[in-house]
Amino acid sequence: MPVTRGEEQRPDRQREWTRFPLLAAVPNRTGERGLAAVRPLGIAATEVAVIAADGPDARRRVLYPVRPEGALIEAATPKTGNYHWLQARAESAEEILVASSVWYFPNPGKAPTEMLLAPKSELEIIPVPLPREHSGYRESEKWQFLVRFHGRPLANQPLTLETEFGSRSTFLTDANGYATVLFPRDFRQAPAPGGGEAGHGPRRAGFVLATEKTAHGKRFLTAFNYTYSQDADRNRSLAWGMVFSLVGMMAAIPLLRRPSADKTREEGTDLA
Amino acid sequence: MLKKLFPTLSHLRSGVQILMLFVTVYGSVVVGHYAADKISNALPVLSCAYDMRSGGYCVLVPIQHQIHHRIGEAMVRAQQLTSQMVLPLLMTLLSFFVFFFIIGKAFCSWVCPLGTLQELIGRLGRRFGIHLRRLEGDDLGEAKRIRPVKWVLLLCLVFLLPLLAGLGVAPHSLGNPYCDICPSRVATTLLTGNTEQLALRRGGNISFALGAIANVLFGFTVVGALALRQPFCRICPMLAFNALFQRLSPLRLVKISRENCGKCRICSEACPMDIREISGEEGSKAFTEDCTLCGRCAEYCPQDGIIKMKWGPLSLFSSSRSYYRDKVRTELPDGSLKPIRFVRAVKSHD
Repeated sequence: MPVTRGEEQRPDRQREWTRFPLLAAVPNRTGERGLAAVRPLGIAATEVAVIAADGPDARRRVLYPVRPEGALIEAATPKTGNYHWLQARAESAEEILVASSVWYFPNPGKAPTEMLLAPKSELEIIPVPLPREHSGYRESEKWQFLVRFHGRPLANQPLTLETEFGSRSTFLTDANGYATVLFPRDFRQAPAPGGGEAGHGPRRAGFVLATEKTAHGKRFLTAFNYTYSQDADRNRSLAWGMVFSLVGMMAAIPLLRRPSADKTREEGTDLA
Repeated sequence: MLKKLFPTLSHLRSGVQILMLFVTVYGSVVVGHYAADKISNALPVLSCAYDMRSGGYCVLVPIQHQIHHRIGEAMVRAQQLTSQMVLPLLMTLLSFFVFFFIIGKAFCSWVCPLGTLQELIGRLGRRFGIHLRRLEGDDLGEAKRIRPVKWVLLLCLVFLLPLLAGLGVAPHSLGNPYCDICPSRVATTLLTGNTEQLALRRGGNISFALGAIANVLFGFTVVGALALRQPFCRICPMLAFNALFQRLSPLRLVKISRENCGKCRICSEACPMDIREISGEEGSKAFTEDCTLCGRCAEYCPQDGIIKMKWGPLSLFSSSRSYYRDKVRTELPDGSLKPIRFVRAVKSHD
């Protein structure tokens, strides 16, 4: 299983690479796969809401207090689904800040389609769709995100992408509120100190998408952060792949020759 | 209507195979994008999880994953055998068995995308007159000599190495070794236009070596299938896995003895797995661990009622002389195709 476990797929670690609010993963020392810990960064949130795609009503939306070690999300109960939506919120008279991310538990349950589209805050960035199991956001790939305000798609809304490697780009939503985000091919640069990923999955880095809107004298800023990985062609060789495929093909060529002592199956088996 | 569309059991099987090839390789278009939407993650076929369009996953994926990450790692943490460890594995096996119960080992010959691809390539070989090679004593050697390979692959690559990786004895890059050498991973992802799985991983000797083995197997299978029927199926650990449960499915082939049975050996000749026992033995001994329930032996048995495909007490198909006569008009038992007729026969006006 390449990418769906461990720390590789978690929201990002604490770094000084963005000014937008983040939900950063706290390394899981226990190794327990049903536990998660996240820490809100750049947002004065006191709790993290965890929204499940499936399961009993009491488990669909659970609030976890933010402690010094982060918000400790308990083991997901069975059948709450794989992807869980994480959201931290800070509200004042002038502004509403929202940091959001997702967490993948190896847990059966419904697909996150409905959960993602259900309204969760005033200004929302919704990944449509999220990467499937065994997959992930990657350099050079285009993925769609829906931007909504009070549940309605926002047209021509700027959506800013910042990555751990320092890339910054802005995308505009279309008439239906969808922005097509191109993940930059920026893993060429050396990873930040302490960066990179251990383990046998691909190298991963954090990204954040953010959008901002002012309405009725109030500022709304919403961010969605997660990880993306380097392009597969960076650590794979198609040339070697083709060489070994050809070796296999060559090894099979003797089979294509007619055997010398042909025991004549040709003369017919039609006994009818 | 059904009879017109599928005049023979082979036609019906081909239709099912093509449909299942679509479902297993591109099925997310129908069943939905997310992994949670897929048909099951415990299908008894090589439906690849690396294929982002697939409609379901092969059971060998979660088996390796759970042995590596749950059983192995939990044993390291010195936990007891709790439901947290064992239950996911049991659930996977149960999900697998729900599917397996219905058509048993026929998943190999009716549903598996790699099986279908090999069969299509084989037909191409027959069509272009490439001589059929067989795993028989007078050609490539007895099929039974190669039978243990699939059991070794199942034991080592699906059970043992993932467990050792979970225990920390083997490196994590050996966590899913069967997937790493599976030619279906390469073949089915290529069918979606994705060359990523064809490319070999650099940066680790083990990953590179396992990927190289997969590609050699893929190349060998693609070319070898032109001459040898179902070359990879003969060593496929999925066939071994399915064989573990073969007596637990109501779908089976049944052969009764008749005094002149075993002389023509056409049933063995028709068998894509070169199972000699079909003609020489009777009862359950006739259908060995290699049988994939394709039904060709029943189609090509020229005697009435000798070989039957049954689901429990129901007889789904029974050999008959008239069916055999019709069948060999278009295709010989070894899969050789009769020439395509482009001109209708002209009626005589005498």
